[in-house]
Formats: sequence, C-alpha cells, structure tokens
Amino acid sequence: MIRRAVLVVLGLIWLGPTYLLLVNASRPADSYDPGSAWIPSGDFALLRNFVSAVEGANLSGSLASTALYSVVSPLLGVVIGALAGYTIVVLRLRHGFWWFLLIFGGTVFPSQMLLVPLFVGYSDAGLYDSRAGMILLYTAINVPLAAFVLRNFYSGVAFSIFEAARMDGASTWRIFWRIYLPISFTALAAVFILEFTFIWNDLIFGLTLTQTEEVRPVMTAIAGLMTDVYAGTPVPVGLAAGLVVSLPTVVLFLATQRLFARGLALGSVH
Amino acid sequence: MRARAPMLGRFRYGYVAPAALLVAGLLYAPFLWTAYLSLTRYDGLESPAWIGLDNFVKLFDDAALLTSTRNTLIWVVGTMVLPVGLGLLVAVLSYDIKGGAWFRVPFMLPYALSGAGLAMVWSPILSHDGVANRLLGVDTAFLQDSPYNTLAMLLVWTWQQLGVNTLLFVVGLQSIPKEPIEAARLDGASGWRLFRHVIWPLMRPLTAVVVGLALVAGLKTFDIVWVLTQGGPGRNSETLAVTMYKETFVSSDYGYGSAVAVMLTVVTGLASYLYLRRQVTAT
Repeated sequence: MIRRAVLVVLGLIWLGPTYLLLVNASRPADSYDPGSAWIPSGDFALLRNFVSAVEGANLSGSLASTALYSVVSPLLGVVIGALAGYTIVVLRLRHGFWWFLLIFGGTVFPSQMLLVPLFVGYSDAGLYDSRAGMILLYTAINVPLAAFVLRNFYSGVAFSIFEAARMDGASTWRIFWRIYLPISFTALAAVFILEFTFIWNDLIFGLTLTQTEEVRPVMTAIAGLMTDVYAGTPVPVGLAAGLVVSLPTVVLFLATQRLFARGLALGSVH
Repeated sequence: MRARAPMLGRFRYGYVAPAALLVAGLLYAPFLWTAYLSLTRYDGLESPAWIGLDNFVKLFDDAALLTSTRNTLIWVVGTMVLPVGLGLLVAVLSYDIKGGAWFRVPFMLPYALSGAGLAMVWSPILSHDGVANRLLGVDTAFLQDSPYNTLAMLLVWTWQQLGVNTLLFVVGLQSIPKEPIEAARLDGASGWRLFRHVIWPLMRPLTAVVVGLALVAGLKTFDIVWVLTQGGPGRNSETLAVTMYKETFVSSDYGYGSAVAVMLTVVTGLASYLYLRRQVTAT
C-alpha cells in the first residue's frame, strides 16, 4: 500500500508540468496568464495553435527536413553497419576484429570534437547548409552502433545457413540481402528506432551545420524560438510547437514499446 | 585456403568500405583535426597558426572556464544521483505490482519531449512571473542566479530522464532470476531487506551501466542549457560543452574552442576509465 501511495504522490508531481503543457497548449493564443495557468480554458484552441506554430514559425520546411534525416540516415546507417557486421563475422574478414574496433571506435568521440572541422570542411566542400550534408553526417554517426549490434547478432547465427546457401550458388551479396538482413529484422528495427530518436532530437549538429529554414532540423528551429523566453511567441503557440515536434517520437514509442526498450538496452552499450 | 576464398566471396573489403570510410572521414578525421587545431590560433578565415600549448595555458586562468567546470561538475554528480536514484526507486516500487505499467505512465510522458520541447514547457514555469513562483509563493529568479539556475535545470532534466531510467531498471528487474527471490521470500525476507540483500546485488551490474551512462551524459550536457539559458545570464550557467560552442561559433576563437573540446574529451575519457576500473575491481 505504501508503495502505491509513494508512486501516486511522485506520479502526481510528475504529471503537473505535463498537465500545464496540455492545458495551456489548448488555450487561445492570446489568453495565457500565469496566474490562471492551472485552470483549463473553455475554448479549445489546440489545433489553431498547431497551425500558428507551424506557419508562424515556418516550421513546415524544417519538419520535412527532419523527417527526411531521421528516416533516411538510420536506414542507410543500419544497412551499411549490418553489411560491415556480416562481412566481419560471416565472411570472416581478415583482421576482422580490428576492422570492427575501427568502426565501433567511432562512437567514443564527443560531438564537440567534431564541430569545428565539420563546419570548416562542410563550408569548403559546399555541404554546409545542405540536406545531403546532414544525411551524410547522421548516417556516419549511426554506423558504429549498427555494426556493433549486428556483429553480435550475426555471431549467434549458425554458419551452416551461410554454407548451405553458398552451396546452392547464391552470391555473398544476395545472401546478405535475402537471408541475413531479414533474419535480423528486430535488431535492425531496435537500432533504427534508437537512431531515429537521436536524429529527431539532435540540436548541436543542426545548430552548427545549417542556416536556412528549409535545411535546419526542427529542434534547432524551435530552439531559435526560445531565445529570450519565447521571443514574443505566445506561450500557447510555443507549447503547441513543443508538442508538434515531440509527436513523432511519441507515436514511434507507443507503436514499438517493446522494441524501444530493447533499443535502449542496446543503446546503453554505446 | 585456396578453396575458402571463393566460398567467402571476393568483395569483402568492398563490403566494409562504406562503414569504414564514413567513420574515418566524418568521425576520425574531424577528431584528429580538432586535436591539431587546439594547438593553433585559428579564426576560421586565415590558416591556423601553431602556438603550442598556449590555448591550454589560457584554460587555467579563464574565470568563465572555472564557472563552467563547476557547473559541469554539478551536472555530473546531479545526473548520477537524481534521475538514476529516483528511476530505480520508481522501478522497484512498481515492477511487480498489479497495473505497475500504469503507475509508470506519468514518468514516461516527459521522456517523449525533446530538449526544445522541454524548454517550451519549463520556461513559462520557471520564468520570473511564472507558475513555480506563484505556486510556491516566492519570488525567485530560477534561471538567473548561479548556481541555482544549474540546479533548476538539473531538476528539469530529472523530470525528463527519470522515466527512461525506470524503464531500463524495470526491464532489468523483470529479467533477474526468480529463484533467489522466491527462496528469500520463503526464508521470510521482504520489503527493504529483500531489496537490500537479494535484488540489489542482482541489479548491480545494470546500475553500474546506467550510472556510467549518466556520468558521460552529465559531462557532455549541452542541449538543455542551450535551450533554457544559452549559458547565461552572462556566462554563469555554461557547461564545458556550451563554453566550447560559444568560444568557437560566437567568439570565432576556433583554436581555443578546440582546446576546450580536447579538455572535455580527456576528462570524459579519464572519468570513464576510472569508473570502469572501479566497477571491474568491485565485482
């Protein structure tokens, strides 16, 4: 009983800000008052605030860009990482462990160590403020974890599967696409979810490597709104914007709760 | 051997090449370049000029850096204690009761918010004329005075991160072997004693991982500070990661910014090493 009581009390404290978020994001844009923030407004304006947030802050371009980055980069990263894992484990690449170490070692660098050269290098290469540049970088960041997880996964797959397919005359490329990639689907999906969330929430690379509304990821765009306590954006609209940008990860999370937990467990090896 | 090469295919290097090239080109090369730049004076326009260790010497009598080191330390200790400790508490209280998942919902919701969304929620709460001041009947500048602004942001961070730690601990608790717990129950252990002597030892390895993650995350704290205070007012809530960003992209002192990045990396590496070594010797 005490356990439930503690959980309920803590839970209510935790719900407070969430409640404020929902109530005040639904309030008409011009009627926010900190004194009555706890009282719901009779006028339900959440959808109007969504529209104001997306249009007023010009978020549609950055939302589209962010969606592109968060889907394409993990897809590429997962396949490239899986291919590396497959080559190292199944094709028994010579000095495979060292190749693995090289690739996985990419996870240890703090992003601060990458910013200056990426900024200067991207500027020189014409990749600064470009979608291609962002996809390239995010893909590279995803590769080490994918290689790590898939290498482990493929270590547990019986080699006889590979041999049998080989005897039947399938190429190593075909075996990768037709057998190894499909059987590792859950591992791939877990990594994908983790990386999707990472990219969707990324702030610092967007801040450093982009400039225009079209290319800039949405977190960075929103953070721009934040300067000087909302910089004149009405509180309900700001809250609605916060909800809009959080929605995709919520949906993904709810749809794949089990996989998500698994992805987290994998991610903790980072 | 001759027969094995065709069996395993001929394009093996071609298959690892994309991964190796991406990692080498976009992670290793920038890393090494930053290490080099930390030894130069560089504004991004003229070519870097070698100045040896001058940037690092400057680190040691830079008052702003002292503040951001202190703030980073608060973040490290704070993230290792608060979100992890409370996360473990919620997990232990809820993992084996009926409807436990429902009790955890309030803690999971904030995790869905991104860093920027987080700032949207808390900025009107913590602002001068905000909800927190009215609720507590005080008049505190939560995001102004140092180091209280760092502590306030730490609480915001705890609010968001508790759920994910809970989830990790619940997964861990549900996967520990049932036999020792049943045996201890039969011997009459329950509540705190059961936790202290049976569950906790089984959970230690996972806790070590979660605390280790918090250690590294705490050292690299950037997003939440950037969106809530941008390191201000003045520079009093900066963390090392924020200082690095500002020195580089606001003051255009790329060399000095790189030195801060190198320092952050060395500290992170050293802390992780010491932490891991302690964990290994402890078990």
